Amino acid sequence: MITSAIGDSKVLQAIQGAPAQPNAADKLSASEGFEKILNGLGVNAFEALRTGESTAIAAIEGKATTQQAVMATMEAEKSLQAALAIRDKIVNAFLEISRMQI
Amino acid sequence: MGDPLIAAMKTSASGLEAQSMRVRIISENLANAQSTGSTPGSDPFRRKTISFGEELDRMSGATVVGVKSIQTDQSPFELEFDPGNPAANAAGYVKMPNVNLILEMADMREANRSYESNLQVVKQAREMISMTIDLLRGGN
Repeated sequence: MITSAIGDSKVLQAIQGAPAQPNAADKLSASEGFEKILNGLGVNAFEALRTGESTAIAAIEGKATTQQAVMATMEAEKSLQAALAIRDKIVNAFLEISRMQI
Repeated sequence: MGDPLIAAMKTSASGLEAQSMRVRIISENLANAQSTGSTPGSDPFRRKTISFGEELDRMSGATVVGVKSIQTDQSPFELEFDPGNPAANAAGYVKMPNVNLILEMADMREANRSYESNLQVVKQAREMISMTIDLLRGGN
């Protein structure tokens, strides 16, 4: 089996900023791990993007300061960058597995 | 505690907001530098001052900066001889605001510099975060 479940749960934790849940994710199969990470990436990136967007709109309407808008947008950008980079890695890993000689 | 780099960015952002507030106060002072009273002998605009204080950001544990108080400058008003002014007292003197233009200009420059340095910190922190994320992208 190709299980990097411990590594996976650490990645997930770093992305979501959630406290570690010991032994919960350790018994995942490889595909479940991939799915879970991709899911976590999507949810988190979307949340950051939504916050950034709504703050930017609030700034345009004059309700938030320019600084707040810029910070929220930068936060979203950072989350998205990280999510994309990690997604690329994971997709690569998956392809690597699928290319394995049988 | 979260990412120290993010905390640094948050702290700098609080600095940016504090300095913007300072610029606002300076602009109020400058705009009202000629605002006299409207009845004989009444007080004109009094110069505003701003002071900053440290605050704890509970989410990141960082010590950020906030506007502690906005007060008024208690120094005396200058008297100007202008008997025709509606705010002139019996002797013909008008109280002018205690705003010193040169002082406000110096203050504004300092606010500007402070804003710049906070922006620099944000830039630097962002670059460091980006560099770290780029590690994932580079060699695959």
